[in-house]
Amino acid sequence: MRILFAGDEHPYSAYALKEAAKLAMNTWAEMTLLGIQPGGGANAPVNPALNLALTRYRESFLEAWEGEGSPYALTNWQYDWVPLKEGVLEERLICRSSKKDFKVRLRLGNVAGGILAEAREEGCDLIVLGCSRGGACQWAGTPGVPQKVAADADCSVLLVKEEQPITRILACLDQTHVSQSSLEILNQMVTLHGAQLEVIGLIPEAGLKKEVYTRLIEVGDYYQERNIKVTTRITEIADFESLIARETQQDLLALWMGKKSLLPRFFPRDWVGRFVAKSQTSVMVMR
Amino acid sequence: MAENKLRILILDDEPIVCKRLKPSLEKLGFEVDTFTRSFEAMQAVEKARYDIIVTDLKMEGMDGMRFLQEAKKLYPETEVIVITGFATMETAKESFKKGVFDFIAKPFNLNEIQKVVQRAAEKIRSAAQ
Repeated sequence: MRILFAGDEHPYSAYALKEAAKLAMNTWAEMTLLGIQPGGGANAPVNPALNLALTRYRESFLEAWEGEGSPYALTNWQYDWVPLKEGVLEERLICRSSKKDFKVRLRLGNVAGGILAEAREEGCDLIVLGCSRGGACQWAGTPGVPQKVAADADCSVLLVKEEQPITRILACLDQTHVSQSSLEILNQMVTLHGAQLEVIGLIPEAGLKKEVYTRLIEVGDYYQERNIKVTTRITEIADFESLIARETQQDLLALWMGKKSLLPRFFPRDWVGRFVAKSQTSVMVMR
Repeated sequence: MAENKLRILILDDEPIVCKRLKPSLEKLGFEVDTFTRSFEAMQAVEKARYDIIVTDLKMEGMDGMRFLQEAKKLYPETEVIVITGFATMETAKESFKKGVFDFIAKPFNLNEIQKVVQRAAEKIRSAAQ
């Protein structure tokens, strides 16, 4: 598994890093910590606040491992050719992590675009980022970044809104396509938090969509066969927003997202952003 | 003369995982057998030696940890790669204590597992020289 943590210098990013570190400790994932500096050319100086934040994130991540045995321990020294300027390379002694890949990167330019490009180019399975609570969901002072990342990423996205225990995962299913990756990422989150799993089938007001109901049963069976305690229920799409506002307290709201999703038909404009903003707690969009 | 193909055994109770992994590793020149039941995989290991084993951990019957232990007992030089959908720090640590080559949590992309298998193959080939 490869995880991309995208962080700015605000407190919610520190919470998100904790979540990413916990996940990495369990899964021994390949890990990238990414900062984005909006605008600026290739020679622009690194924003001191962002630089400090990335340094702290690196230190916190590596120090999260007590004692020996960290797969990210920086012990692998080797000489590498590093581009200095066009046409010139310099040999430098580089220290890399021992067992699993660990990188800290900085991208310049568009914030959401930078996160999405990094995830795509590195083949990430999960993007983790924090965002402010409330409707605006700011990231690096820019509204809409988390929503855009959640809506446009090729992989699953975990948006951490605050530091709090997750005791229940509400996984909402409104379509028949459920990818293997999405089931697996959900498995890891259930295992990590020891959380209860509730799968909610979303149906149109007009009545039961048989395929969704069948898929709901299949997903329930999948978890039961793996000894994961799961409950299932059905709710109407029209009630979904109030359900999110009412029920997401110490929960992770997990949304399956695919081309055949019913939600865009009912909430045509930026439905992912709408639910991300509505939820008071962390949200995971699964692909 | 063509180089002898390294033999890989894949054990995962989810057929979709075997179905994805087999062609991606065959494409790299490995000979691949897949199993969805651990006792059948154990029978295959008892009959013939595999160079690399890729195994899931959580399975009905003999689980992956026990399977890798038994396989290592028979062929200590076999490199074992653990893949798991329910990763914990304890299972990672225990896997390495039992001498696994690498530990990969699901979901993973094929590129990731191909790289790890190739590293294991390099280790086997250089030990054989």
